[in-house]
Amino acid sequence: MDRNLTLGDRLKVRSMIYVAGEPIPRFWPMRTFIHHNPLFGLEHLPFPDAVEEGSRLFHGQGYLTRQQYQEYRKEGKVDDGALRRYLQDFLSKHSLDLPGIELEQWLWTLLVEYVKPQVMVAGDWVDGTVLAAVLHGHPTALEEQELVRRLDDILSRKIHLDGPVYSNVDLLFGTRITETLDELLVKSCLDFFDEGQSAWQLPGREKGFYRAWKEVARRNVRLLLHGLHLPALLSSDEGPEGVIAQILMELKIPEDSWQKYILQQLTHLHGWAGFIRFRSQAKHYYWAQKYPADLTDFLAVRMVTGLTLLQEAMRQQGCPGDAEAIQEFVRKDPFAAYLRLELYGGSILPGWAQRVDDAIARPPRQGYRELALAYIRAKAQQEAGKQALALRALARQVGGGAEAALLALEPDSLRQLVELLGAWEKQEGYTWLRAMESHYMTQLVRKVRLPAEQKEIKRPFAQAFFCIDVRSEPIRRHLEALGDYQTFGIAGFFGVPIGYLEYGKGSEQHLCPAIQTPKNLIAEIPAEMELEEEPLYGALEHVLHDLKSSVLSPFVAVEAVGLLFSLGLIGKTVSPVLYHELHGRLHAQKPLTRLLIDKLTAEQADSILRAVQRAMIVRALQKELHLGRHQVTDDEVRELREIALAHASGPSALVRRMGFTAEQEQDFIEKLRSDYRVDRQETSLQLERLGRLGFSLEEQVQYVAKALLSCGLHRNFSRFVLMVGHESQTQNNPYESALDCGACGGGRGLPNARVICGMANNPEVRRRLRDRDIIIPEDTWFVPASHNTTTDEIHLADLDLLPARHLLYLERLRNGLQAASRRNAAERMPTLGVAEKLARDPHTAAVVARRQAHDWSQVRPEWGLSRNLYGIIGGRYLTEGVDLEGRSFLLSYDYRLDPKGRFLENILSAPVVVGEWINLEHYFSTVDVHHFGSGSKVYHNVAGRFGVMTGNQSDLRTGLPIQSMYKDGKPYHEPLRLIALVEAPAPFVLDVVGRLPKVKSLIFGGWLRVIVLDPEQGYQALVLEEGQFMVHPDSGLRPKAHWEARA
Amino acid sequence: MEWILLILSAILLPVFPLSWLFNRLVDTAPGCWGRALAILVLPQLGILLIYTVPTVPLPTSLERVILLLVLFTTLFYAFRALSVREVTIWTRLMASSGLTLDWILVAAGKNVHGVQIFALAWSLPAALLLVWAGLLRQRMGGAYLGLQGGLATVLPRLSSLMTLTALALVATPIFPGFFALLQVFHLLAVSWLWPLLILLLLWGWNIGRFLQDLLFGSYRGEPMEDVSYGLAAGGFAVLFLFALSTLIWSGTWTGI
Repeated sequence: MDRNLTLGDRLKVRSMIYVAGEPIPRFWPMRTFIHHNPLFGLEHLPFPDAVEEGSRLFHGQGYLTRQQYQEYRKEGKVDDGALRRYLQDFLSKHSLDLPGIELEQWLWTLLVEYVKPQVMVAGDWVDGTVLAAVLHGHPTALEEQELVRRLDDILSRKIHLDGPVYSNVDLLFGTRITETLDELLVKSCLDFFDEGQSAWQLPGREKGFYRAWKEVARRNVRLLLHGLHLPALLSSDEGPEGVIAQILMELKIPEDSWQKYILQQLTHLHGWAGFIRFRSQAKHYYWAQKYPADLTDFLAVRMVTGLTLLQEAMRQQGCPGDAEAIQEFVRKDPFAAYLRLELYGGSILPGWAQRVDDAIARPPRQGYRELALAYIRAKAQQEAGKQALALRALARQVGGGAEAALLALEPDSLRQLVELLGAWEKQEGYTWLRAMESHYMTQLVRKVRLPAEQKEIKRPFAQAFFCIDVRSEPIRRHLEALGDYQTFGIAGFFGVPIGYLEYGKGSEQHLCPAIQTPKNLIAEIPAEMELEEEPLYGALEHVLHDLKSSVLSPFVAVEAVGLLFSLGLIGKTVSPVLYHELHGRLHAQKPLTRLLIDKLTAEQADSILRAVQRAMIVRALQKELHLGRHQVTDDEVRELREIALAHASGPSALVRRMGFTAEQEQDFIEKLRSDYRVDRQETSLQLERLGRLGFSLEEQVQYVAKALLSCGLHRNFSRFVLMVGHESQTQNNPYESALDCGACGGGRGLPNARVICGMANNPEVRRRLRDRDIIIPEDTWFVPASHNTTTDEIHLADLDLLPARHLLYLERLRNGLQAASRRNAAERMPTLGVAEKLARDPHTAAVVARRQAHDWSQVRPEWGLSRNLYGIIGGRYLTEGVDLEGRSFLLSYDYRLDPKGRFLENILSAPVVVGEWINLEHYFSTVDVHHFGSGSKVYHNVAGRFGVMTGNQSDLRTGLPIQSMYKDGKPYHEPLRLIALVEAPAPFVLDVVGRLPKVKSLIFGGWLRVIVLDPEQGYQALVLEEGQFMVHPDSGLRPKAHWEARA
Repeated sequence: MEWILLILSAILLPVFPLSWLFNRLVDTAPGCWGRALAILVLPQLGILLIYTVPTVPLPTSLERVILLLVLFTTLFYAFRALSVREVTIWTRLMASSGLTLDWILVAAGKNVHGVQIFALAWSLPAALLLVWAGLLRQRMGGAYLGLQGGLATVLPRLSSLMTLTALALVATPIFPGFFALLQVFHLLAVSWLWPLLILLLLWGWNIGRFLQDLLFGSYRGEPMEDVSYGLAAGGFAVLFLFALSTLIWSGTWTGI
């Protein structure tokens, strides 16, 4: 092994890891679940290519099964015309003339009638000759020479020189190194990345993952129990990059293949790799700052453990220990290698398994050749037999003389037919997908209403801005149907990205789309006096929870306090709503709070900091020196602060007066600096942070103007303008955050609503808005609100700020909101399996919805964003009164107020991209719920407080669970790409898209479908297909008078 | 003559090294039904032969040797079964591991009927499992587990039968094997119990592996036709009666 690695070598390895990590999607902690495209790293490729590559990397399926698509077709959800068109396109690209074979008929039958997942049988030995023999009932007659040649091909394809050495050894020796390696690596990750779930932490985590692991691994009993001897590998002082390079050299991986090898290693546990990737890039993430780790550490731990396991297997089983030795092993006896591959790879014919097993355990004297040849013939016969059966079954379904024509084909023609069928099946899923989308695009074009002639505009009773989330669509529809309400759709962060410091929480939360980083910080501060004493129940609960995490508690505490926990268990199970009401009463209520929205001046910031530091010093005096506030003067506190900040030196007046020694004073000052963070460095950090607090007046004007104008509202404001954020409410649900607002980075939308309302109610902001032609009447009040998507309730916030004259109308507003909530619950509850009889009455439906929210055994409290399909960017008039079944992201937009296309740019680059992520997260979680989704919730366990695993350990489960995607064993979410409809002139849209490279690549790469509804072309619906706009055939159905009137 | 009878008995009621012949005999029986019959009948013949030997109960001088051989045999076959995935072979190894314990009853002077019923506690589930293995072979082409996981999803009835029968074979409580084993515990001195504890560990390990290979994982092969409801009901009925008989007598028939 060459141990003299240069800096260049190390940098090369690091850069390879960086590049290899690119296709791995980042995985955000579940507390702030971010819906993301699992193939985000492949978005530079066209959709079908990325799906193929993603399937290879992550071992998942990219499309539903043929049978499922056929069911959709029976339900009328597939455009048959489009399906046939795509089929003909395929055939025109694969011109093939086979005697007696009507290829279009064959493929059509395969598509719509053949129910098995694949007509092509996976196998190594089927070719035209073998197939022809079997079709005619003859045994396969493979020439020995030909057979040996093909054996070499098969072995070189399956045992790559640059393939993972451990996996190759597993395939040839049945050693299960990969499985053990994953198990050990997951345990190491759980130890290091824990975020407070474990009572005992891994020591030395602040040194980084690899170094902390290395320290522990040297004396890790768990590894010793596996018989692993790590010290030799870990004795060098080499960093993780150097270790990786050394191991790659030791495994004799060709240097050209290092990149590929690293990618294979990283994607093996892509959930963990994705989380580490997120962590290493999230600069604000507390745990990453405290305990740093990156993919290089992760890979180093994997490779060291892997090499150790490999060396152990070499000692015990005498297997080859590097890539070249494996190739040599295969070359030396390909027959033995093939038999081993078949047995340990699990593809052996079951009837031969014991024989081969025995032969490997006791090598036959005459070698493996005879046995292998006999086995291969049997295998070829079996594969060809299956293939022949499948083809004949298909031919029978095609009907006519198809079966006879099949039997009459020459071996070469048979080969061509099989190749064509294989090529078709490879892209069949994409064909189905496009044909289904075509159906739904037609549905949308037919549903959309054209703007009617301008009527006299009446002032609505209330206007409400809802998040674009699909769950807002039904409640908006119900609210509008109730009467004088006008609603708008806007991204749920209302265009204001904030870092939010919630009262009582220690860290900042980003409430904006994950692709943005907020510059401004909003702090929530209590408006009432804070009580120092913790309420009794809260204190008791703390004690109990501390007991739960104690190592000794199982021995002593179960009998003593276990009964107390059972009260909660019984309450939550028998009467969840009542239990939560009582529980809520026992807990201290959150005090009334205000948000610091206005920017602080430097003097204000300094003054606040001083006030906070003085309060800390007073608290420290009480706790450390037992001096009450009445014993200390303001001047003495000020002097102590100056000493702590090193602006003055002791002894202080207080020390002299109270007779403390110099040492006591020094200790106290040190405590102030370390524990109470009253020191110079911390002060400058805090000042910097305070500088981020709030928004300047100009920023406030900008944000409010943008929010209103982008939605097309600049006149005719009503008395109430509601800014409705949304959140969910579930129990015992690690995916709770996935049900919250995606536009708020998986957080709640209320803080953003409070911020924008605070800005819009500011008289100075309104004055400046008037200069921009946005006239907000004096009697208009912006009210923040929160839509609970689980219970359908809408709660109004900051009502204490409401002007007195508005209180007269408050009851009407609340009644309207409550009625809409109940109607929405009645629409939603039957889809969640609630009996129609119960759900029919809106009041009962609302009660049931509340129970769902409090029920801790409920695996599906709401459907979340399941079934999302459309994104409609335009006036509400397009879909007002249309039942979009809660499947549409609705974004209010008026291109007439956006001459430069800036608002459309914002919409396309943030909400539409977030919508695309949400849509594709759902798409892939449905098409392969076990690989791209997270499987069943039933087996999930929370890992380290940031993710879930299946069982007690597994890869981190990314994606959504089966309970969110499937109902009664069938997909509830129909996996289709987002269909975005934009109401604006086509050239204008193209111009804006052209300015946004990322969005352009998404649209033209087919990651979302686009329809442009062009008001200047008579509201023609233009569908973007294969990079070109095509007029949708149903566009012509529009009555001309309508669009002329509007234009 | 006595020695010849004893040796013959040790072949039919397997004791190492003659147990090798017993396994060969079962293995060479034609078809799954033939093997099932062989594993039912051969031990019974062995027991009858033992009781034709005039010196039974066995002389005290032989007891210790037989005890050592029996305990070795039972542990050896349980250990050997750990590395086997073929259901037929696994079944006969596990049956050998259980049946050999019969000799402890013989040495303790139990009556012939008690010993015969004791043997049935292992040979009946083994016979059933050999039949199920035959049915599995008909469907898959072989009865080798672990190649295709998740057979329970594609063959739910046959997998359930195999699971319950295998549990009966490893002396899971409620099945007769469990009470039979209790009897062995009862007969042995405390200082000789440790091999039985190791045996329990090995059997537990065996059934864990067996069920892991049979039930878990996701099936990726061709669809297969499960056994008929009638056959499954018959199989469950036999197992139910088998377990019920033990529960009714609460182990009395095994001599406790």
